[in-house]
Amino acid sequence: MDQTLAIILKDTYSLTQLKSRLRILKSSLLKTFFGGSTGSTPGESPSTSLGTSGPIFEVNILPQDLNWLKSLPENFYRQFNKDNVYKIFTELEAQIPKLPILTMYLVFEPDFMSLGQIGATVRKTFVQPTLLLDIKLNPGLIAGIALVWKGIYKDYSVKAKIEQRKEEILQGFKRFLR
Amino acid sequence: MPSLPFSPTILILAFAILIIFFLYLREYNLRKKQETEGDKFLESIKEKGWETLNQSIKKSQAIIGEAEIEGIKGTTKLEADFQKNLAGTLKASKQTITTAQNQLLLFMTDLQKRSAEFEEASKISGQERINQLFDRVENKLADFLVQTAQKTTSSIELELKAGRQLVETYKNEQLKLIDENIIAMMEQTLNIVLGKKLSLKDQLDLVYEALEKAKIEKFVV
Repeated sequence: MDQTLAIILKDTYSLTQLKSRLRILKSSLLKTFFGGSTGSTPGESPSTSLGTSGPIFEVNILPQDLNWLKSLPENFYRQFNKDNVYKIFTELEAQIPKLPILTMYLVFEPDFMSLGQIGATVRKTFVQPTLLLDIKLNPGLIAGIALVWKGIYKDYSVKAKIEQRKEEILQGFKRFLR
Repeated sequence: MPSLPFSPTILILAFAILIIFFLYLREYNLRKKQETEGDKFLESIKEKGWETLNQSIKKSQAIIGEAEIEGIKGTTKLEADFQKNLAGTLKASKQTITTAQNQLLLFMTDLQKRSAEFEEASKISGQERINQLFDRVENKLADFLVQTAQKTTSSIELELKAGRQLVETYKNEQLKLIDENIIAMMEQTLNIVLGKKLSLKDQLDLVYEALEKAKIEKFVV
């Protein structure tokens, strides 16, 4: 199970992304095992295992998610069958709360690429290969980030820097005012 | 022996009775005689008494007459004495009254003189007191004016001080407000400007910088 989760988490960096990918993965596998007329590999009848043909992907999946699904190794898919698919996903969902989660406040909404870069840097920086980001928006930070780890908030934004150097900045302004 | 017709006892008794009768008669005659002598003595005393009484009355009447005469004589003399004494008394009284009147006049004159002196002294004293009062009033008025001037000056100074303090407070408050607003303005400006001007690369650089800082601080362990 840890191996499965590790494969999923390899390119998945945020909690939202993880939940979304688990959902589309599950949906795709269920469609493959229990039927569905639309998919990227239509014409195949439901079977007990994926074999070498791979899962049936829904058409309305985002390209990056579709790419992610396609990027998963074949062996990964082979562990699923119609008998264990629900069980595996139940166990995977049960693992989510146990994962280390770092809440990150950003002033912008990161796109897929940015999130990947940030996530990879975070994992590399803190040496946490399974670390997940819980991205939240706070434009009041001006620039930079604020982090919450195990309930402790730490502001590394430009706003915090201004607050720290408030007196110095004010003195600078006062020289012009008085 | 012959017997006698009467017994001896009877004879003795009869003899005794006879003696008592003679004694009675004798006593009776003696008393009669004494009464007669007493009456005579009383009559003589009575006559003497009347005579004495008459003499006394006569003497008393004479005395009364004399007394009346003497009284008349004494009254006249007394009246004369009285007149004399009265005249003397009146004269003495007149003299006394005259003396008293003179003394009263003298007293009145003295009193008038003293009154005039007192009036003069009072006038002088009043004038002095009025002058002193004026001096005191002038001094007090001067003091009051000086004090009022001092108080006014200090009050104005206090007002000025309070005004300056108020201005200073207002200035400080305004400066504080400006300071706060400057920071807020700066933050807002930075937020607007940097939000639009900062490129994604710059934003990511700031994120990486912050992550490095968090790593140094060992925030995520």
